[in-house]
Amino acid sequence: MYIPPPHLANTRRSYTDAYKDILSAYRRSPQTSASSVILLVAPDVDSLCAARMLAALFKQDDVLYRIIPVSSVLELQLVKDELATYEELTTLILINMGNFIDLPTTPWFGEFDLGVTIHVIDSSRPRSMANLFYPGEKGERVILWDDGDAEKLTELRKAWETLEFEPLPDSDEDSEEEFSEEDEAGDDEDDENEDNDVRSSNGKRRSSDEGIKVRKRRKVDKPVPQVTRDEVYQYKQKLNKYYYAGTSYGQSAASTIYILATILERVDNDLLWLAILGLTYQYTSARISRDTYEQQHIVYHDEVSRLNPIFSDSQTSHALNSLNPDDLSVRPTEELRFMLFRHWNLYDAMYHSSYVASKLGIWKEKGRKRLTGLLAKMGFSIPQTQQPYSHMDMDLKKALVQKLDDVAPEYGLVELSYPSFMRCYGYHSQPLSAADAVESISALVDFAGGARLEVELEGHRHGGEWFGGGKIWDAAGYEKEPAASSKPKNATNNADNPQGNGDDDAEEENSDLEWWKKNFWFAYDSLTDIKRLREALRLAMSIHKAIIRQGTSIIDKQDIRTMRNHRVVVLTQGPDLVLFHHPGMLSRLALWLIDALRDRIPASATAARTKRRDLPFIVACLNETKGTYVVAGIMASPEFGDVRRNTFATNFLNASQATSTPIQHTSFNTNIVEIDEKDLKLFLEVLCA
Amino acid sequence: MALPVHLRDSVTPQELEMIACQQLIEIVPLIAMEKTAFISGAYGPLRPPSKAKLPLWMAVNLKLKKKCHIIAPDWLNVEHLQDRLAQEVAKPDAFSDLPFRFSEISKVLLDVASDDLENPDQLRSLLKDLREARQAKSREGLKHLDHSELGLTGLSSMEINEIRPFFVQSMNVLTKIARSSET
Repeated sequence: MYIPPPHLANTRRSYTDAYKDILSAYRRSPQTSASSVILLVAPDVDSLCAARMLAALFKQDDVLYRIIPVSSVLELQLVKDELATYEELTTLILINMGNFIDLPTTPWFGEFDLGVTIHVIDSSRPRSMANLFYPGEKGERVILWDDGDAEKLTELRKAWETLEFEPLPDSDEDSEEEFSEEDEAGDDEDDENEDNDVRSSNGKRRSSDEGIKVRKRRKVDKPVPQVTRDEVYQYKQKLNKYYYAGTSYGQSAASTIYILATILERVDNDLLWLAILGLTYQYTSARISRDTYEQQHIVYHDEVSRLNPIFSDSQTSHALNSLNPDDLSVRPTEELRFMLFRHWNLYDAMYHSSYVASKLGIWKEKGRKRLTGLLAKMGFSIPQTQQPYSHMDMDLKKALVQKLDDVAPEYGLVELSYPSFMRCYGYHSQPLSAADAVESISALVDFAGGARLEVELEGHRHGGEWFGGGKIWDAAGYEKEPAASSKPKNATNNADNPQGNGDDDAEEENSDLEWWKKNFWFAYDSLTDIKRLREALRLAMSIHKAIIRQGTSIIDKQDIRTMRNHRVVVLTQGPDLVLFHHPGMLSRLALWLIDALRDRIPASATAARTKRRDLPFIVACLNETKGTYVVAGIMASPEFGDVRRNTFATNFLNASQATSTPIQHTSFNTNIVEIDEKDLKLFLEVLCA
Repeated sequence: MALPVHLRDSVTPQELEMIACQQLIEIVPLIAMEKTAFISGAYGPLRPPSKAKLPLWMAVNLKLKKKCHIIAPDWLNVEHLQDRLAQEVAKPDAFSDLPFRFSEISKVLLDVASDDLENPDQLRSLLKDLREARQAKSREGLKHLDHSELGLTGLSSMEINEIRPFFVQSMNVLTKIARSSET
């Protein structure tokens, strides 16, 4: 079942009731232990923030809890099996996972003790109807925290309920159809077809149980209103349309918990900041559109003014410092679209931002000249732009936003800024903006484990290009694995290990699982530790540099194949290949390429120019050690800041079924899969056909 | 029981802090609580938004869980402390009148409830000034130590604790010297 948000709930149960139930179940149970309340958290910035906020709320209420990071559906199954043995479990909270899995059914949590409630706080859409509308006790204990969308699904509810529970008009043709549907489902471990399975297996069970004769007799005996075959077909169409229209994102998990905290009247600047980070993450990773972001932003702006009354007048705060050593306030500010511009010099920041890169054509020499020309027009001399931001002249910094607004439209750069927030940390360090914090945390989630990236040391530039005099990224306090195995292993990132024979494989697998968990915890700790966040900014910058290097080389080599419906890039070599095994990196690269190519219609443009602009993008990267390809599919949108629903989940599945290649989802993002090396060609051909 | 050497002569500051936390302080509770029995006594009932008096340790616990607001004691504000500081400077041989455990209580409150106090950083600097002024005076006073008595009125508990080892030892030595010089 779902619970509506408080502002729509009126008298029904809402977030606070669910929360109070968690508390009372915890306090009532005689076997309370640290495993009574368990949070399963997906490894992305939004879930980290939401988990942290929930942890703070629990701590204030003296509730012991446990956080378990889970990265994919497979792992969720393993964890679920382990959880089934826990007797003292009273509450399970899934953060950013579980929306599309039929939780009340038997293969998942259907067999769990009825005392266990399962809360799902997930921002991905679409949602499984079983989760929302499953009746009875099994359905009652799965609670989805909704943001208002579920109310609108009345038609789909009717459709699903009819298909599940009404006697379907049965005939040979129908059961044959359902048979073939089930055959098609095949042997993949995905989620979408589970619905078909459930539906068709229900139908099949009913038909095999009752038999045609009985049905006919029933038709004659009791004149029950039959569901006609047309209606069944229509309902199935509706549900399919909902499920297969593509993935999108609703309210972030952090916002959901912030609303809970607001009703409980326990908000403070820390919770507010984490909620802002969740929202900013959704926007900068192109999960929500600019309009949605602005709507939410207004809400948070009011909250910031409420909790930080001193700064409710608008001051551009690029140069503002903390007022006093205790100042931990959050302030509104205008954020520019340049990546991490307060920590780089201005030239680099503009060079590495995808928006500017595409408009000016940065990867060519001409483009670079245009960039310097733009900066010169704004009145920034070349030495000034090569200075680290903190050393730039004060009046230049203050005038930056204004000048950009004036001069940039000539170059076609509009909408360079968006409203955002920044947080002061007393005298510990400079104020940090939300976008920078999000970049830093996501860099840690992907790479805290020490990918072999060279990180620039501050001050080594001496006013010119950086010639690589940095040191290898090494997170202070990160636990390295003990090199206790027989073969000397690279302590942290296994992708660098060239060996791969059977003996090592098992150990590598274990440590493969472990590295991302360590990253998760490292990033979790850094949410409140400003020193680590600042250090991680360097890492984020190196990641961006790597992305730009790879992206520009792809564009230069004209490596993008434009098929009828997609654009495809396959990465098989390059200095940074190792980095792009990570799904996060790969999707970042794809996003960068989309932005970069949005206005670069290829020279061989056909008549349908507008159609070419928004072809979906597929990026595949070879993992030599494992012999697989990681494939990511991202939708392009015609305008910057617009977001389309991502249909790659179903496209990948269809292609996989058609070619019978096994695919594996490595994370909860269903648009990133892993397939074997030899299957790539066939897979891509079927996908793009 | 054998304590380590450095603990035999005096009490540690953390212990003094804990003792100081037993003092009652006024809070504005945000939750309701019935009159509950604790080991040191029965406290409550808490009926928001009316104020209540609780021991400092309990107030700190509630504050950390965001369940109350602490009201500063009447001596912990800028004017009062500035006044006392002026007195310290004006009278070089007497100590101003401050609560006996003011340094422990102010430390705890500044750590936990600095948002409930006005001008916490100015308070911190005033407290630091007070400490330095009084320390100078107590050093001065120790110079006049003799074997029979020494009057230092108005010292706070932390300052007494600070002087105690030296004071006791030197009084012993001075007494021995005095006794031997008399005989």
